[in-house]
Amino acid sequence: MDTKIAVFLCNCGGAIKNIDFEATRERISKIPGVTSVDLSSGLCFEEGKREMVSRIREEHPDRVVVAGCAPEFSECVFQQVLETAGLSGRSFSAANIREQCSWVHDGDVTGKAVELVKMAVSRVRLLRTLEKKELPVSREVLVVGGGFSAIGTALRLSRIGLPVTIAAVEEVLGATQDGVESFYRCDIDTMKSAVEGDRNIEVLTPARVTSAHGEAGDFAVTIEREGERIRRKYGAIVLATGFTTELSPVSVKGLPVVGGAGSPANIVSQEQLFRMLDNGATARKPETIAFLLDSCDENSRFPTLATLNNAIAARVKWGSEVYVFCKDVKVDSEGAEKLYREARGCGVVFVKCDSAPRLAIDDGRISIEARDVFLGADTIVDCDLLVAEEVLCPPEGTEALADMFNIRLDSRGFYQDENVHLYPVGFEKRGVFCVGGCRGDLEASRMANDIHSVAMMIYGLLSSGVIEAEIERVKADTQKCVACLTCIRVCPHSAIRLSRVDNGKEIAVISDVACDACGICAAICPAKAIVFEGYRDDQVLAQIEAIGES
Amino acid sequence: MKGRVIAFCCEHSAYPAADLAGRLRLHYSESLRIIRVPCAGRVDVIHMLKAFEKGARAVLVLGCEDGACHHITGNTRARERVEQCQVLLDEARLDGRSVAMHNISPNAPQKFVRIADELVNAKEQSREAI
Amino acid sequence: MIIAERKPMEEIEESVAEYKKVLVAGCGTCVTVCWAGGEKEVGILASQLRLARGAAGNEIVTLETTVERQCEKEMVTEIKDKVAEADAVLSLACGSGVQTMAELFDDKPVLPAVNTTFIGMPEREGLWVEMCGACGDCFLDRTGGVCPMVRCAKGLLNGPCGGTRKGGMCEIDPDKDCAWVLVHRRLEKQGRLDLMREYVTPKNFRAVRRPGKVQAAKA
Repeated sequence: MDTKIAVFLCNCGGAIKNIDFEATRERISKIPGVTSVDLSSGLCFEEGKREMVSRIREEHPDRVVVAGCAPEFSECVFQQVLETAGLSGRSFSAANIREQCSWVHDGDVTGKAVELVKMAVSRVRLLRTLEKKELPVSREVLVVGGGFSAIGTALRLSRIGLPVTIAAVEEVLGATQDGVESFYRCDIDTMKSAVEGDRNIEVLTPARVTSAHGEAGDFAVTIEREGERIRRKYGAIVLATGFTTELSPVSVKGLPVVGGAGSPANIVSQEQLFRMLDNGATARKPETIAFLLDSCDENSRFPTLATLNNAIAARVKWGSEVYVFCKDVKVDSEGAEKLYREARGCGVVFVKCDSAPRLAIDDGRISIEARDVFLGADTIVDCDLLVAEEVLCPPEGTEALADMFNIRLDSRGFYQDENVHLYPVGFEKRGVFCVGGCRGDLEASRMANDIHSVAMMIYGLLSSGVIEAEIERVKADTQKCVACLTCIRVCPHSAIRLSRVDNGKEIAVISDVACDACGICAAICPAKAIVFEGYRDDQVLAQIEAIGES
Repeated sequence: MKGRVIAFCCEHSAYPAADLAGRLRLHYSESLRIIRVPCAGRVDVIHMLKAFEKGARAVLVLGCEDGACHHITGNTRARERVEQCQVLLDEARLDGRSVAMHNISPNAPQKFVRIADELVNAKEQSREAI
Repeated sequence: MIIAERKPMEEIEESVAEYKKVLVAGCGTCVTVCWAGGEKEVGILASQLRLARGAAGNEIVTLETTVERQCEKEMVTEIKDKVAEADAVLSLACGSGVQTMAELFDDKPVLPAVNTTFIGMPEREGLWVEMCGACGDCFLDRTGGVCPMVRCAKGLLNGPCGGTRKGGMCEIDPDKDCAWVLVHRRLEKQGRLDLMREYVTPKNFRAVRRPGKVQAAKA
């Protein structure tokens, strides 16, 4: 039996003026397979939708084309209408005669409109419906990391009712932040006791994730703890491994490059200074302190906050003279602008210099020379204590985890989020997320945002215990696939693996859950084995065929 | 089909840009026909070649901006395929420049119109020259 | 796996210049995997031919097919109807596939559309490198599983030439590894460096008598 196609033309309440709908209807109804053409002036209104449902029930078409607005609107609205009328949402195709025809041309465009409808008709004729299935998922979440972001995420997830495992390489949770909580502006003790009292959270320390495979809702992970191997299933993975800092090498005149270990005792890190300020254990209060900021790493959001906090504390507690040598002060973090004003208010001097300051050590005192951009002259400061510039680095093991979950790293080695605007905490691999410092230069308030977004995304993914997926939307033909591995190598979502199918042949199997339907595999397959329903080769080519037919 | 320009538009970038052009009532050549694809990376060389076989004057593949592809590598793969197609057309002694790849963001309707017009005009001029 | 690459269009066009109806036949095994002659390439070549000939005002009709293995007579026989319809066959299979076709359909010109280049493996998607020279006298047991005959630019059998660059790269192509550095590293790892000292006699190319023939042990 031939496919019966119903076409609905909508003039969008009169917003489509330069198309002769009667003529269009006449020409469309001549297309073989088109059994009915209806005119409407407001198909998306309740009345229009009701009318559409009853027309579909009368005419019993197999496929429906709506010619009107952009599929961005029409697709979801009319797919629902189709489902109400007992058809699959996959029997629908839109002809965009409003945004891409009527509104972009002057004068009568009936001819082009007819062509667009013909294109949609030839595509819709070839569409196949797909079975939808609810696939069971594990509701457990694995959080990798042992700092604030990891604990915060675990607590948040537990609060929304998801069981959580924390796997951290540290001996105990929060070990790296011990004693410097207020430096990071987080209260770790309260968080730690909350974790202890939470039966929904299991803590594995010191533990390392050694292997992982699978898809969103069904990751098989091996965790190693003190020689013991723990194998578990998780629905989602959150990477919250934080960051480490390194003192950027400071070049001092007359001395080799120094930095970090072995450098003069009066060149310190932010954290060292914080501890000195915190426990007051310095023999002598430094009279002059200089900070270096921003001269070799522009990603200085976190170091800026640390500098401002420490500068104010040194000024207030010790009464030292404080100079900050910087290119720019980055005040886009929460409260940073206020801190900056406070610092200036209490007498911290900011020296803006375009090139890195030159240093010299003379009799234990450090002399800093820099060209002040505003004064246009060299400024020389002698100080007792120099706080070196810090560069943020990814912690050890970042690469191994990235390899395991097939995610990319950015140029500095941090996890590269999928899309900084749309999905900042997600990856191209569905079901894996990252939070806080491990995705770059993030301070506490941004980390808190991350935790909320990740919790929401995981809740959406796992809370119902099932993921609804269309079965075999993208599928490799068992007969045609030659297991050349091309698709597996190119899939950006790591959704394809080699697997034995019923007849024992090894072919590419595409996960219905992990696949994001881009079609890269279908285009590259040298055996033309991959079929991407909705954008199959014949469905694309049929549209090309239909162009210019009128 | 003679004289049509076919634009394969990624539904995450170029297609919404084209829609936006409509909403802003910008104008472009009536010979442009847009085919919606889920990602520029879905467009295969054979799709472009078949379009020329059907008589298309030019083919455009429009994907997301570099580094902002919804499917990470889709736009770079599309560019590779367009370049391959250009070579194939040149080999067949047709004009390889009739197929082009451009990156566009969904909020750039003006850019969409400019790309479309430039290609259509360039092809019209070259036809006149012949 | 056998690696091949498509011939230049000019050459292909010239070979089919006098035919009006051509069967473009791909092979579904090695050449599919190396992106040279699978169903996708068949479609592209056929389309390109139609475009080129169409533009020249000398239309060509193309039939398209892909055989699972063109080097198997039984499998090639399946397309005999299509072959009968065409004036000539343009085969995208390796040399043995082309010859199988040519033998089976000896009344039709069977023309190669790819150059069979070597036996190799994929280095990454879309890039293949030569691994085996099919010399018929394998000595990989003595070289830690690295064949210097093929992977050394000079095909040296007894250690490197002396031009190895820093970092173990080849003197002829700085992007390629020096095969003998690879051999050394592998044997060192296995504690079998003494093998490096053993003299390898010149290769016995008589091991392969042209044309080669391999008879499996009787079952």
